[in-house]
Amino acid sequence: MTVDFNAPDIDYAAISPQIALMAGICAVLLVSVLGKATNRNLVTSTSLLGLGSALGLMIWQSDRNTDLVAGALRLDGLAASAAIICIGVAIYAALLGVGEPAFFENGQSRHGEFNALLLTSVLGMVQLASAQNLVALFIALELLSIPLYVMSGFARGRRESLESGLKYLIVGSLGSATVLYGSAFIYGGSGSTDFGAIAAALGDGGLASDPLIGIGIALLTVGLAFKVSIAPFHQWTPDVYQGAPTTVTGFMAVATKVAAFAVFVRLFEVALGPAASNWQPALAALAALSILVGNLGALGQSSLKRLLGWSGVAQGGYMLVGLLVASEVGVNALIFYLAGYALMNLAAFSVIAIRERESNLGDSLSAVEGLGGERPALAWALTISMLALAGLPGTVGFFGKLYLIEAAVDGEYTWLGIVIVIGSMISLGYYLRVIAAIWMRSAPDPASLATSALGPIDGGSPEGEREASGSRLLIVPLALVAAAAVFFGILPDPLVDFAKDAGRDLIATVK
Amino acid sequence: MQEVAFFFGAFGALAGAIAVIRLRNPFYSVLALVIHLISLAGLFLLLQAEFVAAAQIVVYAGAVMVLYVFVAAYVGGVDEPFWEPIPGQRIIAPLLGGALFVELAIAILGTGLKDFASEGPSVELGFGSPAAIGELMLEKFLIAFEAASMLLLIAAVGAIVLAGRREGSD
Repeated sequence: MTVDFNAPDIDYAAISPQIALMAGICAVLLVSVLGKATNRNLVTSTSLLGLGSALGLMIWQSDRNTDLVAGALRLDGLAASAAIICIGVAIYAALLGVGEPAFFENGQSRHGEFNALLLTSVLGMVQLASAQNLVALFIALELLSIPLYVMSGFARGRRESLESGLKYLIVGSLGSATVLYGSAFIYGGSGSTDFGAIAAALGDGGLASDPLIGIGIALLTVGLAFKVSIAPFHQWTPDVYQGAPTTVTGFMAVATKVAAFAVFVRLFEVALGPAASNWQPALAALAALSILVGNLGALGQSSLKRLLGWSGVAQGGYMLVGLLVASEVGVNALIFYLAGYALMNLAAFSVIAIRERESNLGDSLSAVEGLGGERPALAWALTISMLALAGLPGTVGFFGKLYLIEAAVDGEYTWLGIVIVIGSMISLGYYLRVIAAIWMRSAPDPASLATSALGPIDGGSPEGEREASGSRLLIVPLALVAAAAVFFGILPDPLVDFAKDAGRDLIATVK
Repeated sequence: MQEVAFFFGAFGALAGAIAVIRLRNPFYSVLALVIHLISLAGLFLLLQAEFVAAAQIVVYAGAVMVLYVFVAAYVGGVDEPFWEPIPGQRIIAPLLGGALFVELAIAILGTGLKDFASEGPSVELGFGSPAAIGELMLEKFLIAFEAASMLLLIAAVGAIVLAGRREGSD
């Protein structure tokens, strides 16, 4: 049997960011094999070159609105803005990773492996944000997740890190399997894996309320809720966040959420849009539960990474509100919030990472006690980040929540707007506790602040002494994200412009 | 004839799957998984998906299972407790599992899809043939196909990260 094969028309400009990332992965692997294995700066520079060119190409292509290679992927405002945030977060993580003690083993740098995994995960995120086909979605989801499982368990000398990697692997695989199972039901019911064709089958075909499609939607919701850690599918989050190396936690907490929410919103609004009246109440219940569980769970935490893990569950609930109203305003609010979320979380995680390297208190709350007097720059960055996460006026978090509430009211989910406000009030209980520790308590016993960042890692590292000075360079990107969190809190317009293409392009696809 | 083949395949797949989780010796579990996968391949054949059936046998029942056997032999017989060791989950897990089963049963029995009660949907000639699958991989899913090869590469890197020899240690 012969098949008429027509090579697809490939728009190389539109897929150039992905090509840059793939080239970056190969370059990082080659440099780390051929170059001197200990040269972490060379590897990181190569990685930054790949990420930087991908970012540049993505910005160059960001006003495109087109199908890529026969239509399994789509480059539009939503894909471009999510990809830009993810690549930006990865650049930050690569910088943060230079001095990460977990990336040394017996004095050997393992930055080559880390950067290769990081770039692959970003490639998965870029593809996930533009996926408009269930098969492409699943492969991108795995491309994003598998490097993350490995990165979580990167510090294999530390029990917590291995536990984190294993837990994330098991729960993440369960989430992926659930997505796949749900996809099978949707394909079985609608006869297609393309988002557009699914929407047509659901809408014109009158399948929107068929139970087979219903169970497919339910399974897809559960699987994606695992990935973005929405309660009650969040139990893994605090453990994984705490156990993973802080650089990885920061990347995972932000970039995964951005990419997974991007595909969540595209899948539900484009493909499953005709069934919106069925999934909206379910997602609203999940959002409300997530906001309450996340904020209440964070209250008693003494580990900063666990605290941010729980707070991430609550923030996921806020973002879900932007998704479930299924409107242009909602998508714009979601992208705005994701961009702001990236800024505030990166600031928080880099302060935790720097303190982890300077003291041997790890990520506990006492590591930041008395920071106000001792390291004012770090103290201000963490304070801004906490205030922004709580959503106080003058920070990007305030406008983020404001737009989400506006979208909720606009979409006739006013009660969810009220839940957001209640959640924010509860959240002050733990965000302010961190700020109080920074400014109002005195620094802990100086003996425990001795540079022994590599204590918990077996073998230690001769590079250890240099880490404290290396972390000083991190002040520059840290100051940038913290300043941006304030800047967009006073003048949100540039970020609003950044977000507005996403909603416009997405809703245009729906109609 | 088709019905007989279907019930053979379906019974083998279910029995194999149950045996995988019920048998306590990991080595037997792997063998049960082989039975499960071969039965699935039979079901694929019934659906005229010859290529998928062949790939299932060669890749899963063949190559992947050999790896599993090696791992099971290498790690040795770890005797897992027959019942769930966490007391709270002994009740909750079966309840939630049962609830999911009921939901799936309701969805499958209650669906209004026409093709469910008949011989199945009509598909174009050559659907699922090697040529059609190859065309999909090189056309529509070209990028996903490339991404899958990247995934294999990075999985190898990840395996080295997690299990590679520790340099510098004794």
